[in-house]
Amino acid sequence: MSGGRGPAVRRHRRPRPPATALVAFGAAICLAAGSGVGLATTARPPVDPPAATASAPSPLAAGRPPGCAGECPPAARSAPRGQPTRVRVPRIGLDAPLAVLGLDRSGALVPPADFDVAGWYGGGPAPGDPGPAVLAGHLDSRQGPAVFARLGELRAGDTVEVRRGGRWLAFRVTGALRTPKDRFPTAAVYGPTPGPELRLVTCGGDFDRRRGHYRDNVVVFAVAEPAA
Amino acid sequence: MHLLRTAPRRLLAGAGALLLGTGLVLAAGLLTGTATPVHAAAPAAAAGPDTGVGYVRLAHLSPDTPSVDVYLAARGAAEPRVFPGVGYGVLSDYLPLPAGRYAVAMREAGAPAGDPPVLTTEVAVVSGEAYTVAGVGRYADLGLRVLHDDLSAPDGGRAKVRVVQASVRAPVLDVACADGPTLATGVQFATTTDYRLVEPGTWRLRLSPGGGRATEAEIRLSGGAVYSLLVLDAEDGGLTTELRRDAQGGTVVPSGGVDAGAGGTAGGGARPGIAVGLAGIALLGGLVLLRRARTTW
Repeated sequence: MSGGRGPAVRRHRRPRPPATALVAFGAAICLAAGSGVGLATTARPPVDPPAATASAPSPLAAGRPPGCAGECPPAARSAPRGQPTRVRVPRIGLDAPLAVLGLDRSGALVPPADFDVAGWYGGGPAPGDPGPAVLAGHLDSRQGPAVFARLGELRAGDTVEVRRGGRWLAFRVTGALRTPKDRFPTAAVYGPTPGPELRLVTCGGDFDRRRGHYRDNVVVFAVAEPAA
Repeated sequence: MHLLRTAPRRLLAGAGALLLGTGLVLAAGLLTGTATPVHAAAPAAAAGPDTGVGYVRLAHLSPDTPSVDVYLAARGAAEPRVFPGVGYGVLSDYLPLPAGRYAVAMREAGAPAGDPPVLTTEVAVVSGEAYTVAGVGRYADLGLRVLHDDLSAPDGGRAKVRVVQASVRAPVLDVACADGPTLATGVQFATTTDYRLVEPGTWRLRLSPGGGRATEAEIRLSGGAVYSLLVLDAEDGGLTTELRRDAQGGTVVPSGGVDAGAGGTAGGGARPGIAVGLAGIALLGGLVLLRRARTTW
């Protein structure tokens, strides 16, 4: 039902109809838009995905090949080093540098200062090391969509890649959730994990204009792709 | 000219009414909290955090049982995952698996997949939870047990350790850190202890079988991690230990969520008052429109 609305609106605006009709019409449109419908379609048009995913021979050294119980070949086990520098998800046109994030005085994670830059929580595990590496980025700025604007489009099976130590580490999305910030699932997001995992966090839900913040967080969960 | 003017207006009135209806329905949905505009597929928050995966690993803890092939199959799935030649003392890595029920079957190493399995069990995987499917006991009374592993974060950036007792030679065992906490006392063969909190760092362990000679071992624990200490019969007699890191987390966990948006793409719907106001205006406009349309006919 949201599909046909846009063109219909434009078609009928041209004849410049009487003011009252316009008012009613405009109000109806505002109402529809305000309800969040069509958010997905009005979001940034898909950017051309950057060059096809170059999968290195072993995207993840610490990956866990299924089926090797204990006696896995030690080949390609050299752990990635250094800080992560970029995150990309070709399917949603995401390709952004990573800053290092810290905590404020109250212990809350401070989001990136730049709306076009995502951040990695430097106090936790790094992407590719065992544990949940947490990346956060803005949903929008005051002007429009920001770096993680399309995070909510990610679905189980999608691939997220993080650049670290001169190579891309691949993660497979396993799930996503939207949660009120005051009931943030800290244990599920930051709790220990057996292997390298990734969490991508942005905002979602309603915008609280009085506080100047969104009420919800959107969290995407991903696990390291086993080495190919 | 008159016709040309009225035709679009009537169309417009129709379209306006339609939009109005849609808008009102949507506003109602918004006010009752049923709309999920950003992420329609997201499960309701009340359903608990769904990370999409649970974890399963396999363990062979029966000293006199030969190697086995272990088959792990999702219910209804055609192709099981096979862990070939799992021998005594093996504790596999965890496999992240979608939540659901899985059948575990054990066959003698090298036996055809079509042979009836020696042992079978089932594990119900819940998202975010972890399980060890272990072959335990002596060969004569071998059983498969599903251990529910607690990978939750240890308090205060410490480490968490438990003992998995798989030694027949030391049927009852005490495990303690030298100059430190006791990890377990009187652990029976084929059992697993609860996790104990331990300060991170290097510890000298002392394993004392009831009446036997003590075995020493050194372990290194890092903060925020969860460990299993496997106690096994050594090939040359005595005991041997293997420290396995079950899971790793950070030591300083941020509190609460993240403020990651400035509202530039937010609709007016965030304020129910505005939504109601808009609905009122729209309704009024629609009525005026209808009246005018009737009078001009």
